[in-house]
Amino acid sequence: MQNRSNTDAARDSIFQSIRANLAASVTHDALESEIHHEAIPVVSSAAPLVSEQSLVQWFKESLEAVDGHCLVVKNELELTATVSDIISRLQETNLRARRIAISDAPEVESLVKALHVDFDEVAVTPSASEVFSFDVGISCAQAGIAETGTLLLDSSRERHRLVSLVPPVHIAILEARQIVGTLGEALSQLRQTEKVSPIATLVTGPSRTADIELTLAIGVHGPQELFVVVLDT
Amino acid sequence: MNHVTSETFDQNAKAALADSQLRGALRNATSLFGQRRLAAASSLTNWEDLRQQARAIKDDVLLHLDRYLEQFVANAESRGAKFHWARDAAEANKIICDLAKERNARSIVKSKSMTTEETHLNVALEAAGIQVVETDLGEYIIQLAHETPSHIIVPAIHKTKKQIAELFTEQLGIAPTDDVARLTSTAREKLRDRFATADIGISGVNFGIAETGTILILENEGNIRLTTSLPQVHIAVMGIEKLLPRFADLDIFLKLLPRSGTGQRLTTYQSFITGTKTDPTSDGPEELHIVMLDNGRSKMLSHPVTRQSLACIRCGACLNACPVYQQIGGHAYGSVYPGPIGAVITPQLMGLQKTQQLPYASSLCGACREVCPVKIDIPRLLLYLRSEITEKAPKGGLGERLAFKFWRSLMTRTWAYQLSARVGRVFQSFVVKDKKIGPVNALGPLTAWTKARDLRPLDRQSFRELWHNELSKTKN
Repeated sequence: MQNRSNTDAARDSIFQSIRANLAASVTHDALESEIHHEAIPVVSSAAPLVSEQSLVQWFKESLEAVDGHCLVVKNELELTATVSDIISRLQETNLRARRIAISDAPEVESLVKALHVDFDEVAVTPSASEVFSFDVGISCAQAGIAETGTLLLDSSRERHRLVSLVPPVHIAILEARQIVGTLGEALSQLRQTEKVSPIATLVTGPSRTADIELTLAIGVHGPQELFVVVLDT
Repeated sequence: MNHVTSETFDQNAKAALADSQLRGALRNATSLFGQRRLAAASSLTNWEDLRQQARAIKDDVLLHLDRYLEQFVANAESRGAKFHWARDAAEANKIICDLAKERNARSIVKSKSMTTEETHLNVALEAAGIQVVETDLGEYIIQLAHETPSHIIVPAIHKTKKQIAELFTEQLGIAPTDDVARLTSTAREKLRDRFATADIGISGVNFGIAETGTILILENEGNIRLTTSLPQVHIAVMGIEKLLPRFADLDIFLKLLPRSGTGQRLTTYQSFITGTKTDPTSDGPEELHIVMLDNGRSKMLSHPVTRQSLACIRCGACLNACPVYQQIGGHAYGSVYPGPIGAVITPQLMGLQKTQQLPYASSLCGACREVCPVKIDIPRLLLYLRSEITEKAPKGGLGERLAFKFWRSLMTRTWAYQLSARVGRVFQSFVVKDKKIGPVNALGPLTAWTKARDLRPLDRQSFRELWHNELSKTKN
């Protein structure tokens, strides 16, 4: 195809230009050694050593600092009650919370079956064309980062790409043992899998913008409410 | 406003200085971002180490760019990404227009990307009859107003909410309002339809990871997640310099970029995209096209001074810190990239001919260098470009060269220096007004030079004379 060979020619000439220009810089590099920065070992700003209990607390504080809600529950029964309570409260607001989209995680499915609250519809992983009509999305998360209050959503392990994003409310279930201290730990967890997941997302609080006069507005394109329920058995 | 070019920088700057509303908005924004950046940086005890290490990583990438590119491409291709190479803006736009035409795309959603601003992609798409809508709130406002961004991070920083409300009333037919939440939700509702029906999503790229072939995109609004998960085709446009060797390097860059840009510890969303989905039933696009853009970048590798321009991670901290940007804003630069970093990369991307004034749009105070998370020595770059400009086209002619020769001979001889100071003290009385040398008329080059500057007159006694006299007093 014409196109293909054009871009191949472009590729070759870009690589040629890179190599020629790097070769031309060698003499200057010798004279300008102070511009080149040497690698140094970075000592991570010491994360406070904490027990698992306080990791949960740390996560909660960080998430609340970025306008997310964090609720800690002790068992499945409390989990069901808490999520039911969140939804019934939302139903009294203009967020409606009558149509619920859920991921394909079995935990979420059984949770929704146990909810003691009225709603109009539940759909498992609605498609791109359907998902816009839902009020609440419920999923699990694959990890939490305590220092920033961040969720790691790994879409190779759960289909939550759209349900965590499109509905105005996202409720995420996180197990306490999945919470790590630092961003670095979460990154190495993401990297450790044999093949890096095709899509992974870090989520820190609800969607926000300050594009108009730097005034903070919550919930521009993504969810305006983010609830993380930590199951700490 | 949009016909402003870099060639008319002096006039642009003057016009901006006369715009008190613009200057008020800039003052608020730049000081707020400056404070937030400082607070966020000092929340880490190892900020200086992180900067040093980040720069070392970028230096390594740039010195071996061909190897890292090969590794990045091989890894991303093995996961299903398709690569396209563009030597310049026109080639990049043609690639994207062709991809759209081949797929009969009618509607495209786009998330904020400075690289596609650089190539003027929207103009090319519209010329090809393809509808394209910007989905970042700031960019959406700018697109509705037919303007260009004035800040890398906050594109509509120059507009008040009143102006935005009027724009929305006029273009979107909403009832007049000055409520930011209402304006934001209007944009949300309007853009939802576009997301739901778009055939292609176009995004930029913050980092490409060589060892995994991953691209990473940062944002706060969620429009990038929507752009890259709803349409069946995702096109990502990236400069060839945007690579990092290892996944673990992100630990450093994700600490530096949000803190430097908006003062956040982490932006709301980070999307890690590695090739295409493996399971056809899962969410997300079926095709991922990565367009690699050179457009003058590879040329910057030819000297260590210019090469550092490619370390830039587009955080915008140097804009907020710059006393020139703080007063005139982004549009006066007449280029896609404004502020200190814009003044050094625009001339390198577009050639010096039409951008000669930009390297002079600085007092060389060094604030940009202090805040840069990857330690780019921007003042050094400005001087480098200035010397290139004067070497290529010596300005001022014989008179100026003779004047500087004369100046040098005065400055390098003690007796000549002292004599000239004594002479100067006598003759300065003609130009000193209110204890300063203000604007003077009809004194050749001094007229132009003093138009925007005050000179301090010579004191009655030089320091040397003062020292000598005081010393002789104490001796007596």
